[in-house]
Amino acid sequence: MAAPGPGEYFSVGSHVSCLTCLGQRLQGEVVAFDYQSKMLTLKCASSSGKPNLCDVILINLAYVSDVEIINDRTETPPPLASLNVSKLATRARMEKEDKLSQAYAISAGVSVEGQQLFQTIHKTIKDCKWQEKNIVVMDDVIISPPYQVENCKGKEGSALSHVRKIVEKHFRDVESQKSLQRSQAQQTQKDSALSS
Amino acid sequence: MRMVHVLTSVVGTKCELKVRNGVVYEGVFKTYGPECELVLDAAHRKGPEPVVGPRHEDIVESIIFKASDVVVVQFKDIDLNYAKKDNFTDSAVSARLNGEHKEKDLKPWDGGEQHGSDSLESLDADMSNGWDPNDMFRFNEETYGVKSTYDSSLSSYTVPLERDNSEEFLKREARATQLAEEIEASATYKARVALENDLRSEEEKFTAVVRAERESHTPSGRENKYVPPGQRNKEGLSWGAGRQNSPRMVQSNNNVPSTRPGPHDYSLSSAADRVLNGGATWPSPCPSPSRPPSRYQSGSTSLPPRATTPTRPSSRPPSRPTRPPSHPSVHGSSAPVSTMPKRMSTEGPLRMSPKTQRTPRAHRLSSSRGGIPSGVDFIPHSAPVDASIPPPAHSSMSGGTWSSVVSGGEQHSDLSLTHRPRSPKQTTLGSSPAGSCPQVGTTPIDPVAVPVSPTTASLASNQAITPSTEAKESRVQETRQMSPVANKEIVKPVDTSPSIGRPVNKGPPAMGLDHRKQIDNLKEFSVVFRVSTSVAYTCLIVHSSLVFTSNFIWLGETLDTNNTASYRPPGSSSSPSSPSSSASPASVLCPAPEYKRGPEVTSQGVQTTGPGSKLDGQEDKEEKKDSVQEQVRKSTLNPNAKEFNPRTFCTQPKPATTPTPPRPQGQPSPSVVVPQPPTVYSQTVCFPQMYPLTPVSPGVQVPHMTVSQTKPYRAVPSMPQQRQDQHHSQGTPTMMHPASATGPSIVASSPAYSAQYFTCSPQQFTSQTLVQQMPHYQSQHVFSSVMQGSARMMAPPTHGQPSLVSSSTTQYAEQTHAMYGKCPPALSVSKLLPMSPGPIPQSYSHPSATLHAQHPQPSATPTGQQQQGQHAGSHPAPSPVQHQAAQALHLGTPSQQQMYSALTPTPPSMNPGPNTQSTQASFPSAQQAVYIHTQQVQHGYNPSHMAHVQQVSCRLPHVLFTAKAHLQSGVVPSHHTTPSHPPMMLMATQPPGGPQHSLPQSALPPIPVSSTAHFSYMAHPSVQPHHQQQL
Repeated sequence: MAAPGPGEYFSVGSHVSCLTCLGQRLQGEVVAFDYQSKMLTLKCASSSGKPNLCDVILINLAYVSDVEIINDRTETPPPLASLNVSKLATRARMEKEDKLSQAYAISAGVSVEGQQLFQTIHKTIKDCKWQEKNIVVMDDVIISPPYQVENCKGKEGSALSHVRKIVEKHFRDVESQKSLQRSQAQQTQKDSALSS
Repeated sequence: MRMVHVLTSVVGTKCELKVRNGVVYEGVFKTYGPECELVLDAAHRKGPEPVVGPRHEDIVESIIFKASDVVVVQFKDIDLNYAKKDNFTDSAVSARLNGEHKEKDLKPWDGGEQHGSDSLESLDADMSNGWDPNDMFRFNEETYGVKSTYDSSLSSYTVPLERDNSEEFLKREARATQLAEEIEASATYKARVALENDLRSEEEKFTAVVRAERESHTPSGRENKYVPPGQRNKEGLSWGAGRQNSPRMVQSNNNVPSTRPGPHDYSLSSAADRVLNGGATWPSPCPSPSRPPSRYQSGSTSLPPRATTPTRPSSRPPSRPTRPPSHPSVHGSSAPVSTMPKRMSTEGPLRMSPKTQRTPRAHRLSSSRGGIPSGVDFIPHSAPVDASIPPPAHSSMSGGTWSSVVSGGEQHSDLSLTHRPRSPKQTTLGSSPAGSCPQVGTTPIDPVAVPVSPTTASLASNQAITPSTEAKESRVQETRQMSPVANKEIVKPVDTSPSIGRPVNKGPPAMGLDHRKQIDNLKEFSVVFRVSTSVAYTCLIVHSSLVFTSNFIWLGETLDTNNTASYRPPGSSSSPSSPSSSASPASVLCPAPEYKRGPEVTSQGVQTTGPGSKLDGQEDKEEKKDSVQEQVRKSTLNPNAKEFNPRTFCTQPKPATTPTPPRPQGQPSPSVVVPQPPTVYSQTVCFPQMYPLTPVSPGVQVPHMTVSQTKPYRAVPSMPQQRQDQHHSQGTPTMMHPASATGPSIVASSPAYSAQYFTCSPQQFTSQTLVQQMPHYQSQHVFSSVMQGSARMMAPPTHGQPSLVSSSTTQYAEQTHAMYGKCPPALSVSKLLPMSPGPIPQSYSHPSATLHAQHPQPSATPTGQQQQGQHAGSHPAPSPVQHQAAQALHLGTPSQQQMYSALTPTPPSMNPGPNTQSTQASFPSAQQAVYIHTQQVQHGYNPSHMAHVQQVSCRLPHVLFTAKAHLQSGVVPSHHTTPSHPPMMLMATQPPGGPQHSLPQSALPPIPVSSTAHFSYMAHPSVQPHHQQQL
């Protein structure tokens, strides 16, 4: 199929492949196309491989070449669902805060382990923040470097014990992950050895 | 569009944005612009080397990228459904799972060649019932080394049987064998074994849904299952049919059920009663009409049938109630009153708690009289009905007057209806269909109605105007004539709705007994009963004589209040209220009778009724002759009726059940009959009220009726609601009020409404509540709303009228049809009924308080002052004034007064006076208008009770009818318009136009009065003109 020139219409649902001016190959299902700005939106399989998620790519066709329609879709696209704007706004705000918080910690010189721990705790307890290099959970428990279980301090109580559990589990998981990776590496080595 | 959607759905996610120079920025996608500008929050420039994270200093609050600078933007790991609003709706879930559930791509299963058919088929073909236990044990032992300790003798659990040859053992063994044989021979055992061993699947045996089977089962299963009223009726009908006249019974039952749910029981029971009664009494359709008479005169005859069906008591009561309704009209005059009191006392409580009441009544009836018992039964149901019935009786007596008062067509029809009920009673009493029926029957309802309407209308107009004396006389005569006619009509209705007539008859008799026994109680209950009676009246009207009943009711109400004034005039004989008597000759004429009867009714009334019931046949005849007296009684009853009204509301529910049927059937006896009977019994108490009303109606009847009604309606605060509901709540309460106030109430009062009433009656309709409500309304001056309601009422009336129309007049029917079209018949009816009850109670109370309705009302209702003032004014004033006053006195009067007051600067009391003063003629017209208003007001009251509203509407129709009598065509249009309040107004105005032409002056005066305040008033003016014309 001839490469569609700029301004050519893309039908929603068709699969398109193109090459950006930066040499990046992009391919995906057309979700939307704005003729005015020549912006094409593609939906691709998630780069992380998660089945329920997908990657959305916004492409400026002005800087794209070699546009190719792999297969066209004539079916009428599904109707658009109404969106919960407030939910989106909240998500945007939360994402921004998280990023800023993370940036704050990084700028404070927190170790990678510390940052990982923070992320882990943050998954469970939203109310956690950086205070210099210390992680403050629920304004009650303070975890100071090197962020081990024994570094968790605060008023004795369920909160402290709970945080300790999280920290303990975090490092255990990290350990198991490492060992797993190691074993996998070994396994691959064995396989390769056997195969060879 | 889709771009906007997709970009919006990724808002708040992290993204990497590449610009033309290859630099990558990472941030949270915040928003976008119309030119596809992209905004990233907390963005930082992403370096080539994978750093842990951006430093705080590297982060930019937000960056806006022009579309022309952007090469690619990548949003990773996006859930496009994140922001979908309907994440959990079926469609959303299914859409997700069906369309985008990529993890689970369905693939056809391929078992592979080797498995193929072999293994699968082998499994299917393997009929062995699983593993042999020994195989299992062995397998476990070999595979897992588990040694089973299983012992087939189960020695661990039991002891082996030691056999020996001892005689004892043999005996026991033989015994055991015998028992085993017995058990195995039992049907139960076989059935159970069959269940286990037959080849049907569990599905087939236990869970499969087999329609045919079920249906067959349902019949038998009914016992413990809830049976809708309608079905019950059917059953009752079927039973009744089996026992006696199944067809009628069925019809009546069906009708009843259809109309009302709550009332259904009653109606059903009534139907059953009917059936029961039907056997004996029913035989002659006329009898039903005559039944009422029978109660009075030959109550024994009617009673016998009832007695014959002792078991039916419960069912009978209902049927009786229905009869009572019919009776009301028939008994109306005499029996109603007496019945009313008794019923009031006895039934009152019963009505309070419909169910309980029913039974009690039944018991009472049974205890008191064989036939009566049934009547008693009916009473409970009919309590309202009875109330309505009594009015009918009165109406019958004064029916002529009533009809005249009511206003031509409707009134006549109403009268006829009421008469019918009465006649039925009479006939029944006479057993007569011949005796009583003849009277009633002689003149078919239609004929009667027609004659009556013209004459009555004219009479009414005359009376109202002033000619009152002559008019009254003429009315009285007419009423008397009418009464005969009415009776005849009643008979016809009865024929059409035998059940109704019978019920009524029964009701009255029963009522009589009850009254006698429980006069005192009745007094107390009377208030409640009055309400119920009013309802009953309305109900009756709704039925064959729905219109009539409504008229009666209204009349009764008006009569109660106005009885003295307007009705009395008509009833001249009835002229219970001194005011009316003094005011108008007619009233005077009526007064005496009313007083006499009134006293009797009130105090002796019970006794009289009792006798009447006993002597139903005679009484019926007497009643017919003594229509005036009946009216008087009615007037007296009216006071009671007011009290009854609450009950009537209850009864109305019954009517409500039948209402719709009645309308459809309209005149058909079944529906009508049913309602009436109930009303009769329960209404017995009510009837008195009804009677009073009727008396009033006769003389000043229509106007008064309306007035009285209006008052009652006013009294009923709830009415507004009803109005709204029924009328679509255009004018809101007012709309309803009009409807209730107008004839519709009567019509509406019919079955369907009755049901509503029942429900309502307990709560709202209690006399107290009603009274309170009434005051509120009055005080509140639902006028405007009332006016609207009146318009609506008009429409409802038409609805209700249909039956009436059919029975009485085609024209009416048309009107009613139109009305129906506007308002749901049932609704209108129900509304009307409720309305009437509410109003009635007040009016009744007023009447009861004083002989005249006025007295009671004033005292009863807060607005009393206005009413009183009006009453007073009306009474003093000429007949027209009286009529107006009477109306004012009546429920309608308050409303009118209110209306007037609202309309006119002058206080309510002032209004009455002005009205009266302005012109008798105008007043009559005003009264009519008032009626409408009153009706509307009532509707307003009714709000609580739809039926009331409907009644009001019915009344309006009546008014319209009256107008129609003169200007039927004109009226009809108005009716059509009536649906909406404005229309109503228009209607009124239109009719007036005709009337006005004839009586411009009168029309004008009314207009001023009404016009001053509200549209409704305007309508009233118009109405008044009509009335005048009619008059």
